[in-house]
Amino acid sequence: MTAKSWLSLYALLIRTSIKSRMQYKFNFVLASILAALIQISEFLMVAIVLYKFGAIQGWSMHEIGYLFAVMTLSKTLYRTFADEVHHLEKYLVNGELDQLLTRPMPVLLALMPQKFRIMLGEVLQGGFLLWWSLSGMMGSGQVGWSAVPQTLYIILTGAVILFSIGLATATFGFWTTRITELQNLTEDAARTAAQYPLTLYPKWMSSILLILVPVGLVNYVPSLYILRGELGWWVLPALAGAALLCLALSLKFWQFGLTKYQSTGS
Amino acid sequence: MLYFTLASKAYARNLQYRGAHMVHNIASAMFGFMYACIWIGLGADHALGEYGTQGMVGYIAFTQAALWISSFITNGLGIPQAVRTGHISLDLMRPVHLFSHLMAKEWGQIAYQFIYKSIPIYVVYYFAFSLELPGKASDLLFVALALAGAAYLSICINYLIGASALWTTESSWLYWGNHAMINLLAGFFIPIEWLPGWLQTAAWWSPYPYLLYVPTRLYLGFGNVSYLWGTLFWCVLLTLACLLATGFLRRKVEVQGG
Amino acid sequence: MIEVQDIRKSFKTPVVKEGRFSGIRTLFSREYRIKEAVRGISFKVDRGEFVGYIGPNGAGKSTTIKMLSGILHPTSGEVIIGGMNPHRERRAVVKRLGVVFGQRSQLWWDLPVRDSFDILAKMYAVDEADKVRRLEQFTELLDLQAFWETPVRKLSLGQRMRADLAAAMLHDPDVLFLDEPTIGLDVNAKRNIRHFLKLINEKFGKTILLTTHDMDDIEQLCSRVMVINEGRLSYDGTVRSLRDSIGLPTLITVTFRGPFQIPESFMATGDSSTQARIRVTRVLDQSVTIEANRREMNTLEIVKELGKWGELDDIDMQDPDFEDVIHKVY
Repeated sequence: MTAKSWLSLYALLIRTSIKSRMQYKFNFVLASILAALIQISEFLMVAIVLYKFGAIQGWSMHEIGYLFAVMTLSKTLYRTFADEVHHLEKYLVNGELDQLLTRPMPVLLALMPQKFRIMLGEVLQGGFLLWWSLSGMMGSGQVGWSAVPQTLYIILTGAVILFSIGLATATFGFWTTRITELQNLTEDAARTAAQYPLTLYPKWMSSILLILVPVGLVNYVPSLYILRGELGWWVLPALAGAALLCLALSLKFWQFGLTKYQSTGS
Repeated sequence: MLYFTLASKAYARNLQYRGAHMVHNIASAMFGFMYACIWIGLGADHALGEYGTQGMVGYIAFTQAALWISSFITNGLGIPQAVRTGHISLDLMRPVHLFSHLMAKEWGQIAYQFIYKSIPIYVVYYFAFSLELPGKASDLLFVALALAGAAYLSICINYLIGASALWTTESSWLYWGNHAMINLLAGFFIPIEWLPGWLQTAAWWSPYPYLLYVPTRLYLGFGNVSYLWGTLFWCVLLTLACLLATGFLRRKVEVQGG
Repeated sequence: MIEVQDIRKSFKTPVVKEGRFSGIRTLFSREYRIKEAVRGISFKVDRGEFVGYIGPNGAGKSTTIKMLSGILHPTSGEVIIGGMNPHRERRAVVKRLGVVFGQRSQLWWDLPVRDSFDILAKMYAVDEADKVRRLEQFTELLDLQAFWETPVRKLSLGQRMRADLAAAMLHDPDVLFLDEPTIGLDVNAKRNIRHFLKLINEKFGKTILLTTHDMDDIEQLCSRVMVINEGRLSYDGTVRSLRDSIGLPTLITVTFRGPFQIPESFMATGDSSTQARIRVTRVLDQSVTIEANRREMNTLEIVKELGKWGELDDIDMQDPDFEDVIHKVY
């Protein structure tokens, strides 16, 4: 099969998933509204702190807003395409993965478009926050227009990193079946931590967030260069390298995990 | 004692998953640790009101531990799953009221979480942050009452969320929506008095402050015992709502046959 | 077509500790309970065979099928399907496979049946002309037209099964794996499915491996049957010789006209060591029920022997029920 036919198949599966969800319009609307509500309340938690205290350890309101926005948008990108990777437990518990394994395509490619999520709320909110923080910093001359393409670039590398973390975490499910608890640690806790500058945390914790579960590479490290001119331009290509390395490692782990799949009822 | 049996079975059922729960405890402890670090960072440059930095760390430690009593309970008390599998019609046929039946189970769950989650997590914080325990026994009694009330309120809220599963397949979103509201309005990360005025008003019109903020204030010794009247008021109101919801639920199941 | 070389599959589950702090101990312990679901199975299936694969619940049937179709990786041993290994070349193998799990549908639950076929055609790169031609065939054989536009979740079990079978055949696979395709179906629906399976095996030469608990499926469809028990093959051969090898007695009821005399040596005494090849199990008025094994004594001999006892009025013979044969094997 050519790359083009893969792509068209993938697009077809995504259309199918949207069509399936549209069968339940009320549910779809309810889920969308609640997802937006959750997102807003998460944002308010950060916004209130910023509103009340202004800066956190030398990071201005706009800078913290930027950290939050980049993380939100990277996560949104990851979850839009690969929400089902995050929900692999469901497939492991009821053996639905069997079906996907009988399809003539890579399992991951069959899994991902099972449920395509339209995350309009997150996009709007992340986009708004990004616009607010970037325009604030441009107004004060902290950053120039070049920050815009750089930001889009790091959102993409960030999404790849988050996807890799998510995939590696989900892969543990082939041994443990239950993964929610681990996800809580590697996805939710780690991501929430990186919404603030990592200097807030003790050394051991920030090291974990940069190396073991590298969420710091999604927003914190690139911000050091883009917003504050620290490190150097090499950060940007290095991020792409790191993202690809994470992806390669987690794909390798996933392939290995698949051979340990136990199916159900046995 | 049927209810006691239900509760102790629910408690025992959890014992099998202690391995997974250990990982969960680590995650939960990390969350609280992270929030505490944020407040320590903020406290370096700002005065943190009547709490002070150490007070805010104590605040976070307590809310994080109390979360396992008044927030992270079974999604919809398991009703959504019963609806999906069709078990709900069986449950409704039982000679016990659905609400009290599920509630008894949930108390077992909460007892388990209190012993295996809240306490270990708090002990970790106690040593990590050199926290202080409240001095007076009478204070602890009020905290216990406030927590029990919070657990009950949480059971009621989840019962209502569960009941909604008969009308929508996406009720798990309500569960997470409820979580988001707890994070914001129950004073989980930010004490309610620091919210903007309109949010404070909204919070006090809801039962959310009684889930975390009130027990925490009482525990830290800032609270006023008269808060407990609010807890009682919401307990009564939500109980009525649950009984009403059971009526609707029953009718719905009878109409569509589970 | 299918070659299986000594495959084994064991599942590991961590042992849950009891007692105090067992949660922590379980987390760090390396103790596992090993369950051997399949313990060394080998067989070969030729093109065009229709093989029944039976065994009690938990014997390892599904595990085997899942290993054959590339879902599970065997702990050891090798599977070759059409010359390829379904684990190393999963995608290439599944293109030549059709798999149907009776308990689970591979169709898109919320969408009309038609949509599932459109998607599968794209997925297996079936070109439009082939798709139309095959669908015309299936529609005729399985009467898909009746529910073509219905969402899958609203289909009856029988309809769903028909749709699932057609879906598994859409890319014209050489081999079909069917895991309990008739489970839960009514008599009529079963008959339809069997008719279809027989046809695609005989007319289109598909190789089929079928697991089932319904012995009628085996009797009516399969040329060969394999029995798995506790992870091992306990029988592999024709249905007929399976029946013979067990040697269950034929049940014969004779009615005598007028008086009759049963020789003492034929009465069942509970002691089966008596040399008698005919055993009388029940006497009721004029009718006598006996058991005889037709491998030891043919029908004519039996009738001759009975004729000595009295004047025969009527004879009714009942071959052993296949269910019973199977019970004996298990």
